[in-house]
Amino acid sequence: MPLDYRRFNGPDDSVSYKRFTPDFLKSYEELLGDLLEKNNLKDEQASDEAQRVFAETDTISQAKGSAYVEIKNTKVVCSVFDPREIPHQNEFSHLGQIYCEVKFAPFSCSSQRRPPAPDAEDKALSEALRQAIEPAVCRHLFPNYQIDVFAYIIENDGSCLAAAINAAGLALTDAAVPMYDLITASSMAILDDKMFVVPNEEEEELAMKSQESKDINHGVITLSMLSELSQITSFIQIGSLETDCVIKAMDILEKECKELVPNIQKVVVRNVIKNVKRQQILHESAKEMEEILDEKYNLWQKSLKAKSYLCFSLSFFSLLA
Amino acid sequence: MAGSLISQSEQVFIVHGVENDFRSDGRSSIDYRPMELETDVVSHASGSARLRLANTDILVGVKTEIDVPKPETPGLGKIEFFVDCSANATPEFEGRGGEQLANTISSTMQRAYYSPQAFNLKQLCIFEGKQCWKLYVDILILECGGNLCDAVSLAVKAALFNTRLPCVKAALMDGGNIDLQLSDDPYDSKQLDIGTAPLLVTLCKIGTKCVVDPSAEEERCSVISLVVGVTGNPNFYQTDDNVIPDIKCKCSTISMNGPGSLSPKTLKSAIEQGITAANCLDNALGDALLREKDEISYLKKHSYGFLK
Amino acid sequence: MPGPDLLSSQGLRLDGRRPNELRRIRCKLGVFTQPDGSAYLEQGNTKVLAAVYGPHQASKSKTSTEGVVVNCQYSMATFSTGERKNRPRGDRKSQEMSLHLRQSFTAAIKTELYPRSQIDIYIEVLQADGGAYCASVNAGTLALIDAGIPLKAYVCACTASMAWQGSEPEPLVDVGHVEEAAGGVCLTVSSLPSTGNVALLELSHKLHMDYYDMVMSRAMQGCRDIEVILDRAVREHLAEGWTKQDTITI
Repeated sequence: MPLDYRRFNGPDDSVSYKRFTPDFLKSYEELLGDLLEKNNLKDEQASDEAQRVFAETDTISQAKGSAYVEIKNTKVVCSVFDPREIPHQNEFSHLGQIYCEVKFAPFSCSSQRRPPAPDAEDKALSEALRQAIEPAVCRHLFPNYQIDVFAYIIENDGSCLAAAINAAGLALTDAAVPMYDLITASSMAILDDKMFVVPNEEEEELAMKSQESKDINHGVITLSMLSELSQITSFIQIGSLETDCVIKAMDILEKECKELVPNIQKVVVRNVIKNVKRQQILHESAKEMEEILDEKYNLWQKSLKAKSYLCFSLSFFSLLA
Repeated sequence: MAGSLISQSEQVFIVHGVENDFRSDGRSSIDYRPMELETDVVSHASGSARLRLANTDILVGVKTEIDVPKPETPGLGKIEFFVDCSANATPEFEGRGGEQLANTISSTMQRAYYSPQAFNLKQLCIFEGKQCWKLYVDILILECGGNLCDAVSLAVKAALFNTRLPCVKAALMDGGNIDLQLSDDPYDSKQLDIGTAPLLVTLCKIGTKCVVDPSAEEERCSVISLVVGVTGNPNFYQTDDNVIPDIKCKCSTISMNGPGSLSPKTLKSAIEQGITAANCLDNALGDALLREKDEISYLKKHSYGFLK
Repeated sequence: MPGPDLLSSQGLRLDGRRPNELRRIRCKLGVFTQPDGSAYLEQGNTKVLAAVYGPHQASKSKTSTEGVVVNCQYSMATFSTGERKNRPRGDRKSQEMSLHLRQSFTAAIKTELYPRSQIDIYIEVLQADGGAYCASVNAGTLALIDAGIPLKAYVCACTASMAWQGSEPEPLVDVGHVEEAAGGVCLTVSSLPSTGNVALLELSHKLHMDYYDMVMSRAMQGCRDIEVILDRAVREHLAEGWTKQDTITI
């Protein structure tokens, strides 16, 4: 890996001081206890997960379409660019292609700084994002062209793939790319008999790590779907889960995705209204401008006529002379 | 998938055949093609295996290295998967052409081996917080005849079964550094515990049905396939009769490949189908590996390699 | 010469061979079905796979009206060497090897027969134990024959080195990894033995001009020996193939 020369790199065998803080030294059970305690507190507030999403379109002016999505503390910006001819390829492809890139901001993760160069995780996420949104796009409408989708994770607090898929779906609609249906995604962390819908980073990490001594279910599932067509476009599971558990989780996630749809629709509608309004304003201002211009033109023409009359009379007089 | 070109009418033929549970090579939808497996084929690697599944040819070499464990997991070793798509398989893989396919396969494998219930990294620990084994699992794809994921996972499990880690004879503490002395005797080594290592099963959706072990032509006819990783049963990999309690097979990874989508109902039935198939495969692989191990220990084994 | 002792007092080499003895060569043609031609060759512990695709239409950038374009790619499996390799190809050494392979094969193929076409030769080294280039050339030749591409002659490659038996110079044929690493000279010759042409010659380390002829003739002798082995393999393969086909038709 290329060294970062701009910052001071400690000796090769140095360890981060965080490793010796009491938080880090906590055993697995302690962490789990803490988490459950926190969750109990949260349950009292009784929050509906689907409503904890903030989404906005048209956030980046340079991109054809863009969206910003916040799920809990995870923040993702996604931009979509105009179709362009597929670079360096030999064969004509009848279906359009989608190119995805997921990037983490250097400051996005709480534990360590992210190197700017993409690593294996970034690549896997990019691949997963492409897999998720590809079935939603009418790719036969732009043969031999490619649409670029860039997702940038500003803050990662768990379920970043789900957030990225939601953002990418919104950005694609904002860019007016023809699609079969709105795409929504949700994720879930499972630990023994507990299920955390849209987990935060702690929950995700605990569910991934698990205790090897015990033979319990643990894992993380991300599911994205086209709800109107009831088609699952991607399903990614890591961990170790029994079949019944997978199926149960699938049902919950499906419901979760469905619940998200009206909210996303609202955002899209708002975006359309905003755009229509903006167009009206543009139209009106254009009209105003035109009127002013017309006025000026008339004025100018009048003065020109007067001048030409003057010129004419002048030449007439010179002839006479 | 790379390679084969097929025409519209051939596609129709295959799709209609699958509808009636007939496949072009005479199998039913749950049959695998014949496989050949040989372990210990590369002498420079600690463990190796070559698997040929009809036309798909996979060579796996496992190399070991001593490394420092990650600070957040001091008691665990490391495992890394690297897939190389050789240009021997198809000219499309020349240069960096096979990279995308290679990345997909290696990230699927990495995910499947992630859970401690699938592969316990504790067994790679030498000295907690100081030294551990790092396994490099290098997968070489020599020919693509469809169903790469399944073949790769089988070959990897066989290669890991064949892997021997040399025993540590002595450790010298010198200040904070540890100097290890490894045993030179090739027989003084330990085997890895890979009973629960996952196998991947690809279920390819053709028309309305899901089939296992698709050939390259069948893969061309389908737009979506489901890859299910299922943990193995250690009982299949044991000769002596001290029976360990049967562990239920669990999903260690599920992912989807291809540009299409699936309905929830198909997905559910496909997952169940995948688990049954993986169980059978695991049983067969265990039998084959134990038989081969016997042959090696009685010096009866004749090495074939690519010469057969 | 200050080199290490490559020969014992009985005149045997480190691996027990005599100075003019090749390592055991085992080979097989037609290992794969997808390529147009393929071959597997073992030279001692060096194991190489070769695949040939073509001749097919050349890609736009490479096309030539003169003759066929020979495209070679040499790659080594990451587990092929004692120390793990990070990348199978793309490093300097494998690019150089690809160029050298191209040199050898262009000399052997009747390039004028296929203008505007391209032949791809892919070499995969599964296990490297010295003389990987030679094994690659020999395997490549077999794969070309399996693909039915017209060659002027067999192209064979062999290495040779120098050792001292007492005070007498003694050239060694087919250098293994241990002898290579010991730091003696290593002369790599790729030639068309039946025509007597040399396609590629490479010398590493220094060798006194007086001994050059001796080493060179030993390497050429190695090439001739290899040609005999390859020729037998091809004949056996063809004989097998014909009988098999006969049984099928009957």
